[in-house]
Amino acid sequence: MSLLEIAGVTVRMGVQQILNGVDLSVPERGIVAVLGSNGVGKTTLMRTISGIYRANGGSIRFAGEEIAQLRSHEIVARGLAQAPEGRQIFAPMSVRENLVLGGGVHGLSELDRVLALFPKLAERMGQTAGSLSGGEQQMLCIARALMAKPKILLLDEPSLGLAPKLVKTIFDLVAAIRAEGISILIVEQNAKAALRIADRAAVMEGGRIVLEGPAGEIAEDPRVVEAYLGGHVHA
Amino acid sequence: MSIDPYYLQQLAIGLSQGVIYALMAIGFTLIFGVLNVVNFAHGEIYTLGAFVGLLVIATFAPPLVVVLLLVAAVGALFGVGLERIAFKPFRRFSDEASLKSRAMRESTLMSSLAVSIVVREALEIGFGSQMQTMPFEAMINKPIALGPVTIVTGDVIIFAVAVVMLVALQWLLTRTRVGLAIRAVSANPLGAKYVGIDTDRTIVTTFAVGSMMGAAAGLLVGLYYGSIFPAMGFVPGIKAFVAMVMGGLSSIPGAVICALLLGLSEGLATTFVSSNWADMVAYGFLVVTLIFFPQGLFGAGRERV
Repeated sequence: MSLLEIAGVTVRMGVQQILNGVDLSVPERGIVAVLGSNGVGKTTLMRTISGIYRANGGSIRFAGEEIAQLRSHEIVARGLAQAPEGRQIFAPMSVRENLVLGGGVHGLSELDRVLALFPKLAERMGQTAGSLSGGEQQMLCIARALMAKPKILLLDEPSLGLAPKLVKTIFDLVAAIRAEGISILIVEQNAKAALRIADRAAVMEGGRIVLEGPAGEIAEDPRVVEAYLGGHVHA
Repeated sequence: MSIDPYYLQQLAIGLSQGVIYALMAIGFTLIFGVLNVVNFAHGEIYTLGAFVGLLVIATFAPPLVVVLLLVAAVGALFGVGLERIAFKPFRRFSDEASLKSRAMRESTLMSSLAVSIVVREALEIGFGSQMQTMPFEAMINKPIALGPVTIVTGDVIIFAVAVVMLVALQWLLTRTRVGLAIRAVSANPLGAKYVGIDTDRTIVTTFAVGSMMGAAAGLLVGLYYGSIFPAMGFVPGIKAFVAMVMGGLSSIPGAVICALLLGLSEGLATTFVSSNWADMVAYGFLVVTLIFFPQGLFGAGRERV
């Protein structure tokens, strides 16, 4: 059974239809990557799942429960956390305070586990989050989401604006997080890196999923190779 | 050389006034922090604090601490009601565009101004627009001689209450989940939603905390000067607003320091020029700040709350 099951989700903003019936599912302990260029609705989809936006239609089931009409804090409490686009950390607050806030009702109970994944943050606990480097801020953003003890982690463009070496670090971390039993739904423009770690992948265009399948097959699909992988297949 | 005790007395009065502005300015700043809007009804919370205090004292004359606690509690309730009536209805949409929309911010300026007018007029209908006198026994103006200087109990009480409230606020904002949530919403409202903070509840809490302090300030002023009236909140509201702007709009320490500065300068102006000029000091400060320090004296680079 899928942990997260999205069916026919539509989102309208004013006169604009941003999502046109998205179907997508994330299996227990799986990594699913959503690819697509700018403006196809990837971030809207992620925000709708987290309850920042309200779906106008369709259903979002998480661990068997309908969550499409719940509010964002109720969704986090059920074990669905997101490291959002643009990081959205609390820049003037300390790293520790950011992590405490991420923990919510769990407080700092996950701290040791999280810091084991992000040893760099352990040295920065007293610093303000805004004083961290871009890569460290991204790590804080993911660490903050993990503090909530999620069953599934949503990652929206975790590699955006990072140096290639850091991108690799971040994706290695994503694989390590899955190894701890957490499912992952990742949205990425860096298709190559995302397809390398994903089990399944989906391609989004014009507010709907146009292609979906095992990551290996998607990576070899001529349309994907053409549009997202720069014309030739990477092993 | 010795300083004329009269000046020291004026300084004590100025300090008390500054502390009152500070209590008001904190409420302004907290609310501006979480919502990015100015709450024009804050002065009326102060007025209501004084009137509730009068009613409580007139009906069963409890000790001052009890009056304070009751007024603070009622102030918190007023804050919650104000938020429900004047702010929440304009926050129906949570997408980024509406969060940043100026139209939405401007509508809450109008709605909070409307609430402030309604409250003031309602008090005038209920109590009349003239001064109401606080029962003499309840007033905090018993003289205390400190060598050549004579201050009154009110100076000490106002200072002590403010210190307790500031320490409590600091504890709340740095040591409790509620306080961390208030700071998180101030720093990044969208980020707050992603970590599972109930932003609506946090905003209501902020109004409760800010209004509690505003109402307490109104009560203390009423007991200090002995007379209260429905429009009494207007001038301190403006002064607290000036302190908030001078402090950089979103810095609590900045607002407190500027409020004290304002109160002391007014005290000095009263002493050396005339009391008619005291108000000019505040407005002069505002103009100078806006021209030379558009980000406030403590604005740039500081944490919002």
